Parts: sequence; C-alpha cells; structure tokens
Amino acid sequence: MTTKTSLLKVILLGDGGVGKSSIMNRYVTNKFDAHLFHTIGVEFLNKDLEVDHHQVTLQIWDTAGQERFRSLRTPFYRGSDCCLLTFSVDDNQSFLNLGNWKKEFIYYADVKEPEKFPFVVLGNKVDVTERQVSTEEAQRWCQENGDYPYYETSAKDATNVAVAFEEAVRRVLAMDERTDHLIPTDTVKLHRKPRSAVACCS
Amino acid sequence: MAADSVYKVIFEHEGVFIHPSSDEDGIEQDLLVSGSLRIIDKDGEIFVEYKPLEDAVDPSNMLCAGKDSSSVVEWTQCPGDKSHQMIETQQSYETEWDMINTVSFRKRPCPNGEGFLNHSHERSRWTLTFSVCELKSITVKEEGWTFLLCKLKEATTTIPALHFHHGGSNEFLDSLRHFVLLTESPDDTTCLLVTSPNKALSQSFENLLDDNSFGLVHKFKKDPYVTTLGGFSKVTNYIYDALRGTEEQHQRPPQEVADLLGEIIPGLEINQQEEPGFEVITRIDLGMRPQVTRRHPLSAEDWTKHQHPEGRMVNVPHLKHSIFKGGLCHAVRKEAWKFLLGYFPWESTLEERKALQRNKTDEYFRMKLQWKSVSEEQERRNSRLRDYRSLIEKDVNRTDRTNRFYEGIDNPGLALLHDILMTYCMYDFDLGYVQGMSDLLSPILYVMENEVDAFWCFVSFMDQMHQNFEEQMQGMKTQLIQLSTLLRLLDLAFWNYLESQDSGYLYFCFRWLLIRFKRELSFQDVLRLWEVMWTGLPCQNFHLLVCCAILDSEKQKIVEENYGFNEILKHINELSMKLDIEEILQKAESLCLQIKTCKDLPHSVSVILGLDTLDPCGSPAPRPTQCLDTCCKGHLRETSHNSCKVAFMS
Repeated sequence: MTTKTSLLKVILLGDGGVGKSSIMNRYVTNKFDAHLFHTIGVEFLNKDLEVDHHQVTLQIWDTAGQERFRSLRTPFYRGSDCCLLTFSVDDNQSFLNLGNWKKEFIYYADVKEPEKFPFVVLGNKVDVTERQVSTEEAQRWCQENGDYPYYETSAKDATNVAVAFEEAVRRVLAMDERTDHLIPTDTVKLHRKPRSAVACCS
Repeated sequence: MAADSVYKVIFEHEGVFIHPSSDEDGIEQDLLVSGSLRIIDKDGEIFVEYKPLEDAVDPSNMLCAGKDSSSVVEWTQCPGDKSHQMIETQQSYETEWDMINTVSFRKRPCPNGEGFLNHSHERSRWTLTFSVCELKSITVKEEGWTFLLCKLKEATTTIPALHFHHGGSNEFLDSLRHFVLLTESPDDTTCLLVTSPNKALSQSFENLLDDNSFGLVHKFKKDPYVTTLGGFSKVTNYIYDALRGTEEQHQRPPQEVADLLGEIIPGLEINQQEEPGFEVITRIDLGMRPQVTRRHPLSAEDWTKHQHPEGRMVNVPHLKHSIFKGGLCHAVRKEAWKFLLGYFPWESTLEERKALQRNKTDEYFRMKLQWKSVSEEQERRNSRLRDYRSLIEKDVNRTDRTNRFYEGIDNPGLALLHDILMTYCMYDFDLGYVQGMSDLLSPILYVMENEVDAFWCFVSFMDQMHQNFEEQMQGMKTQLIQLSTLLRLLDLAFWNYLESQDSGYLYFCFRWLLIRFKRELSFQDVLRLWEVMWTGLPCQNFHLLVCCAILDSEKQKIVEENYGFNEILKHINELSMKLDIEEILQKAESLCLQIKTCKDLPHSVSVILGLDTLDPCGSPAPRPTQCLDTCCKGHLRETSHNSCKVAFMS
C-alpha cells in the first residue's frame, strides 16, 4: 500500500513588520529571532506534517510587505491553496489593511471562487501588553468577511502557531478530497518542481 | 494548423563534409562528400539529417545546395552578396519543407555503413537520418576545423564523422541543445553525453509555438527573437519534465508564477531599445578565462602616500586600482569612502573639504529639523510621512541587530539609522523610504560613525541605487535584463537551462541586485565588496559580473540536481552568508578580462559594461550585424504563415 502525500502551497500576507517571517520560522524551525531581518523579495520553506492521517508537505511562502514591491510579489500568489492573512494585535493599521490584502490576494492569485477559498486570519504578537486590536474586533471581522478561522498567535512564545497551520491544512483538505493533490509518496520528489507536462498540449 | 505530417527545418548548415576514406591521416580531396546537415522536426520527433549534394565537392557550389534530389526547390543563382543568397536559399528550402511531404526519411543508418548504400544513387549512400533520441554521445574534435563523431545508443551502428569545414558545429550543437541535454563526459571533456527526452512526452515544436496559452504567435509578431527563444525553451521544459517523469504533473503554479513575472520583467526589451533590429547573442568563443590574483587591502600608509600635503589626492587611477585589487584596511575606510562615493572630490584640498562639510552639516540639520518639527496633528494629516516613519521604525529594529553598532535596546546606532532615513525622506520625499534602504545605510553609518557624513555618503550611494527603489522598479528590471544578457554570453547552456525552468529572467537574483549583496555576505565582506565596486573598475556594472561569478559557482549544483523554479529560488536564497568574497571578486574580475579580450562582443554587452568608452584605442566594439553576418547564419524572420518556424539562433 502506498501512502499519499499532498503538497500544499500556503502564503503569508500582511503589512510589513507584523511577523510573517517570524511565524514561518517558528513553525518550520521552532526558533524565534527578535532581530530577524525584514524580508526582501520572496522566500519559502517546506514543512512536513500529518493532519488527520493525511501526509502533507506545506510549502510556506513569505513575502515583502511594502506596497512598492507589489508587482514582484503578486506573481507568487498563483497556485496557493491557502492564504494566511496576518496582522499584529499591537498595530491597528495592519488590522485595517486585512481587507486590502485579501482583495490583492484574490485578484492576483486568480481565485476562481473567492467565497470558498480557505483564508485563515492570524493576529500575531499576543505576547505584547499594549494591544490595539481586541479579540472581539478581530473575530467580528473574520465572521463578517467569510467566517474565517481566527487564531491569536505569538511567534515569540510559539502560541497557536502550529495549531493555525494545521487548521489551514484542514481547511484545504476539507475543500474537497483533493484527489488531484494525492500522489504516491514513494515516487514523489517534493524538491522537484511540480509542473504539468500535459496541461499545455491541447 | 499543423498538417498531418509536418516537417520543420529547425537548423540547417551547408558545407558539412564526410570523408569517406577517412584513415585519420590523409584526406583525399576528391573523395570528400559535401552536404547539408539539418535538424528536423518531423511530426514532433526531432531528427538529425545529413544529405549530400548531388555534385558536391566543389565548395563554390556550397551556397546553392538546393539541387538535392529529394527537394523540388529551384532557384536561380544570382551572383552577388553571398550571405544574402544564403538566406534566400534557406527560405526557399523551408517553404518547400512545409509543403512537401514526399521526402523519404531513412529510418537509420545500418551497421558498417552498408545501409547507406542506395543502389540507384551513389550519392544517397551518404544520406543519413537518425532521431535525436537514438543519440548516445557526440565527440567534438578539432583538426584545423571541427568535426563531430556521433555515436548512437545502438553500438553496432556507426555514423561517419561530420566535418564542419565551413564552421557551424557550435551552432549545430546549440540548436541540438534545445531538444536534448548535452553534458560533458567526466572522462573525456571533448565528449558530450546526450540525454534525450521521453518520447511519449516529446512535444511537437509547432504545437508549442501555436499554443495560445503562451500567446506565442501574437508575441512573435512583436518580438520574434525573444518569443522564439522562449518557445525553444518551452520545448526544453518538456524535455526536462519528461526526464523527471510524470509524477507531479498535477501542479503548475511555478510556471504560472514565472509567466507572470515574465510579463512584469518584459524580457530583453532594453536590448531592443538600445539597438534597432535584433541582436542574437550567439555562442561566442570567449577563449580562456585568465587567472587573476587579489592583493592585500590598502594600508593607511599607502593612502597617505597618495595624499598631497594640501590634501589633494594624487595618482588617483593607481589608487583606485589598488583599492579595486585589495580593498581598504578598515582604518582608511572612514576617509576613503567619502572620496569613493563622491562626497569629497578627489582633487579637493583639506580646507575645501572642511568648508564642504560645514555647508553639508547645515543643510543636513535644516532637513532634519523639517521632520523633527512636524507636530502629531500635522502628521495625522500626512499619511505618506506617517507611513514612512512607521516603516522606518519597524525596519531600523530589524537591520543588522547582531552588529555591535546596532545591537541591544536603545543603542545610539539605531537612533542614528532612524534619523538619517527620516532626513532622507525630506531630502527626497518622492522616493521616501523603501525597504532595503536601511540595509544600504547601515554599513555606511557603521564606517562613518558620524551622522552628517553618513547621510551624505548615503545620498551618493542612493544616487547610484535610486532606480532600484522607484515606483516602477525600473532599475531592477533593467539590471535583471542586463544580467540575463551577460549570462547568455558567458554561459548560454546554463542560461538555457534556467530558461527551461522558467527562471531565465533571473528573478532569484532580486535581493542581490536590490541591495548589492548586502544580505548575502557577512558584514565585513559587504564593506569589502562595496569599496571595490565603488572604484568603478574594471568596467561599468561590475556587480553584474559578480552575479555571474556566483552563478558560475552554483550552476553545477543547480543543473546536476535538476532544480526547478522553486528550488533555484530557494538555493540562491540560502547561499546567504555562505559566499567567499575574495573568491567571487577574483572570478568576477577574470570574467571581465575574458569578455574584454573577446573580439566579437555583441554591442549590447559592450554597452552594459561600458567597454566602448573604456577602449583605449577608442575603436568601437564590433557591431552586432557583423557578428550576425560572419559568425552565424542565424536569422530572424516571420514567414508567410505565422507558424514562426525558424527564427533560430544557429
């Protein structure tokens, strides 16, 4: 019997400085570096996990948040299976911008059915004491915008980070049986570029 | 559009000889067989075909090879320009190849040459055709000219050596590379091992070019060269995919990502703006890469020797050369960088510099006061200033925090970094603050240890880097295109590989270029690289050759591991802090020397590296048209039906 592995592309979006890279690094390497550089360009890390007996490889993409870099960031939205909209609970502006990030993602990722697309919302930096965004406000936004799951995370002390990613995976898997993602583990080389060899032959 | 059975000539070269009596030593001229070598797409399968001319041998007939028995092409041979005639010849051929399906293809040459024998026609005995899939290896030999020994997988079959008396072997191999992977044999560098695609997945060349999803036909009209290159690499894509197997054919985001990036970085438009018409960068023999050595950093004593008692710097070219070759001792940097960056004129006296600094200090604090005096009320109504400030505050806390100058909480270095960046917003409010600028400032401030000097040196550096950060990021696009041009000259095979992996526009070099390797090297190495670059030696845009040098060191890994779009990006990102600056500088300099000695340098490359102006004799670099005429017969054109058949770089 062959087990099946899914390769899921997840993208972290949100204002500069909300902690996207820190969340990714906490999840993948379980480390936190308060003095991490801000991201230039795009980066990604892979992480293997098992969710509800599904073997999954998450490919987590992290981008530079500044407006100026939009044109060189948005192409990487293509093919995302899930989008983690991220803000920082000590930065109200980053919360207000969630809607813009969502819009940008839907537009550039070319999502076919935006209302069904699995977004997960992360309110990061809950370790800080001076909050500008309350849990209730954030939950309300999530409810009103598509009933998205909401997690209050701290990359610094690892609060809810893994849980949020696992929920993201569940959302994706629940979308459908993802049969088109299921491929035999024994032949899959996830470091190889996934690419259709037949899609262009029409 | 494709007919049931379609032949396409992908490559054609005439004046290729077989030496029937080739006993290595003697070549009996009258026994030479002359013919044309072609690469043909026959219903999506790629063949190499050799056909002798009916009454060859006489090289003067070489240009009108159309009397080939299998072709009905006829034309009148008019005296005149040979190259013009050549193109006509090929065009005529091609049209015919499209229409005529009656040409018989021999399946393959039979063992011991017996199978070549066509009893009705002596010459046809040397006709041979084989599928590229049957190729095992090609050995490249030189004997005053180049000849190729093709070996088939089926060891019993021998193919006679193909002698390129009129050149063209490189072009043939390059063309072949669009369909198979040629890798040097580890045992014999003259031997290229052939890896061919899985036949089931081999894709019709024509289908690919017609594929509307790539909009190739449309693009071709606008931009035949680029589009065709892309088209060829799409073919290569399928080949690499085929080699990799089909296990992952369910996802194609990398390709979509790449296609979008390709639209944002419109490939090679710059080249075309620079020169009307098209320039084909063909495989140019660059010759040996010369060995260069690096030197010790310039000492304080050496620096002082170049300073006149009044303070003027003397023998500046020599000084710059020394800095280029070895960099600076740290003690000299604080002073020398001001000259290198253009804050201090080289010819200024000490007195003049003091006056300059006084003025610049006033000017700095005037601008600093501007943002310092903005009240909270005002700032609430100034969203741009608010956004700049917010991002600067965030980024200052995330810039070089492990460096002693910026580490810890409330380090004065952080406040200076912040204040200088805010003041720069006042200096250039349109640009304001863009992420990456803190990276450029940090080393300068570290060296200057002075707010005002650091600011003005940063202003000078930003003058060079400004375009990188502008709204349209034109500087980034231009550099990526220039880098692509250089890489194609230096290593076409590698560039072809990258292009086949949707990475030909070199997006993965984005961070390198945006902030000049600031994140790739250790802090001390960044200081070294930047001072070397600021000498402006040994050519313009030397940093692009630095990119090429790094890529040269990584290409083996990338190709051997068969990295795709994502892995290339990841691999390059992860080179950060693993690079050896002296090794890179050495290689980049030797690449520069190698390019400078090349005679047939494409004009675009001369322009990028500023070699036209650096040429001591003042003689312009050879025009690309010359190169097109003499060293290749590649030609770009659109034929009657827009199947954009053969725009090949041969």
